[in-house]
Amino acid sequence: MMSSRNAILEALGRVTLPAAAMPVIDVEPNLEDLPGQFEASLNKVGGTLVRVKGLAEIQQYLDERVAEGQQVLSLVEGLKGNRELDAQRHDLKDVDHTLVHGQLAVAENGAVLIKDCDTGHRVAPYITEHLAAVVKADTLYPTMHQAVPKLDLAPGHHAAFIAGPSKTADIEQALVIGAHGASSMTVFLID
Amino acid sequence: MALIGEIESHASAAEKFNKDEARVNWHDKALWALRHKRDLAAESVGGDEWERLKQLGSEIKLHTLSNLANYLQEFEANCQKNGIVVHWAKDGKEHNEIIHGLLAKHQVKKLVKSKSMLTEECHLNPYLEERGIEVIDTDLGERIIQLRQEPPSHIVVPAIHLKKEEVGELFHEKIGSEKGASCPTYLTKQARYHLREHFLTADAGLTGVNMAVASEGAVVVCTNEGNADMGANLPGLQIHSMGIDKIVPNLDAVGVLSRTLARNATGQPSTTYNTIYKGPKAGGEMHVVMVDNGRTKLFQDELLAEAYKCIRCGGCLNTCPVYRRSSGFSYNALIPGPIGIAVSAGDDETHSMAWACTLCGSCTKVCPTKVPLDQIIHHWRKVHAKEGKLPYGKRRYMPLVGRLMGSEMMLNGSMSVARGAMRILPDAVMKPFGGAWTEHRELPKAPKTGSFESWFRKNREEK
Repeated sequence: MMSSRNAILEALGRVTLPAAAMPVIDVEPNLEDLPGQFEASLNKVGGTLVRVKGLAEIQQYLDERVAEGQQVLSLVEGLKGNRELDAQRHDLKDVDHTLVHGQLAVAENGAVLIKDCDTGHRVAPYITEHLAAVVKADTLYPTMHQAVPKLDLAPGHHAAFIAGPSKTADIEQALVIGAHGASSMTVFLID
Repeated sequence: MALIGEIESHASAAEKFNKDEARVNWHDKALWALRHKRDLAAESVGGDEWERLKQLGSEIKLHTLSNLANYLQEFEANCQKNGIVVHWAKDGKEHNEIIHGLLAKHQVKKLVKSKSMLTEECHLNPYLEERGIEVIDTDLGERIIQLRQEPPSHIVVPAIHLKKEEVGELFHEKIGSEKGASCPTYLTKQARYHLREHFLTADAGLTGVNMAVASEGAVVVCTNEGNADMGANLPGLQIHSMGIDKIVPNLDAVGVLSRTLARNATGQPSTTYNTIYKGPKAGGEMHVVMVDNGRTKLFQDELLAEAYKCIRCGGCLNTCPVYRRSSGFSYNALIPGPIGIAVSAGDDETHSMAWACTLCGSCTKVCPTKVPLDQIIHHWRKVHAKEGKLPYGKRRYMPLVGRLMGSEMMLNGSMSVARGAMRILPDAVMKPFGGAWTEHRELPKAPKTGSFESWFRKNREEK
């Protein structure tokens, strides 16, 4: 009996759709005030932008959360919380705040690219109650046309464009922030 | 109830939904709100750029479909390099067997699922439940309808047919939330706590696929809630089910389609999560199941194949005047609305689905990949007519209507009689001749003398 793989490929061999070339992506980006565009987009998707000059201000934010008695996990070099990355991913369930490194960010939609090489466990940016990312201003891209091809993801890895906190409007179209992923998203943009 | 082959026709099912006029208006408004948000999002990108994105989306999908065999093989080869196991399933049955085989091998007792219209199409949940596996749908809307034992009524907002009070009652009964609660924030938080326990105790996660990137050997999953990523990243075993139409060539294509998907669905600039899986987690396993289930058959027809340019944003449902006023459950098909008719009217034994459409073309206009939905729906009408399968009434009177309208003399003569009658007879006598059309509408007023044709001849033709 023919395998399903061969059966599908054979059926596709009989398909005669007119040849169509892959188009050239020729959309001109708007490069004006990318940080401003990013902030407007991030606000629209429910996130918060904090513009900082250096890591010290971010450390202060983490210290304040620690002082409040929260479980704070920093996955960014040079910044400290009060929680080490657990050996078992399920143990991250009671982490309140997680700080990660963002590879780049997208002005048009407020998304930050977070790779698993920066998060220890893949689930870290999803399971935490609150998520914060550190992004350098020179890694802002205008749209997904520029950002997605910069993905550069190694085989066997995972990455996510995360735009704001998790949300849903499945009950009568009422927007609720905090569905299954993080309930808030803060982006520290280093000028 | 008008049953055709023991299945209810669209018109009959819609008539029942239409009995509660207040609810119809509420449903209509909820969907139109989504359409409005979509318009604002498209405008914020800019009209010219938005139209360009639609054109690019259409060309990318057409290019992919016309080279699908190559791209499927490229995707498979690249997945293998990344440690992803790829499976091919010719139909829903084989898809379910493959999934069950994987779950059985890993002794999975509990599976957490995120939204996947494909697994609905394959009826995966009952298949697994019959075999002793607990299946938990984790998207909030999906969980609501799963607890109600209902199918989705919309492909993006599956519980759009329900009111918050109904959800409150359901959650009180099934997950122990407070009696009488109806605040969406409270109910969503209750679902968060309830489902968090399931994420932490699941043995496997299954998601749908928004895009499968051939050049990368990776799948892209888009959600707002983060449920797909909780499900894929906590248990060791992750499975992704996809129709073979979900392939895109490369990351450029992801860039284009990720710009239109959420904007056209809900008016958001992006879904909260656009996540890319290019291999299993350390110590885990990742499987992708690619399913045909009738797709290659529709690809044989050049026009019908275009239905698979669809990226499942649901925009055509939100704008459709028939869907908004008849709801997803009237269609006798898993995927309702214009795209549902386009992909499933071939299997519609009631021969009524392709008529659940006014051919207004609004769906085609809003589609982010330019699927010619109205043309496809019109094409299905011809297919059903040619097979001699029109409903009895239509089969009898449509040829007569055709003959009447094809003859100028007969058409003008009968219109003259109609105008005369409308001038002298009361509406109550005339309205029944309009059939269902005049049930909720008034008749137009006939001109006092003459006709449009005579007015045109006198005023325009000689000039």
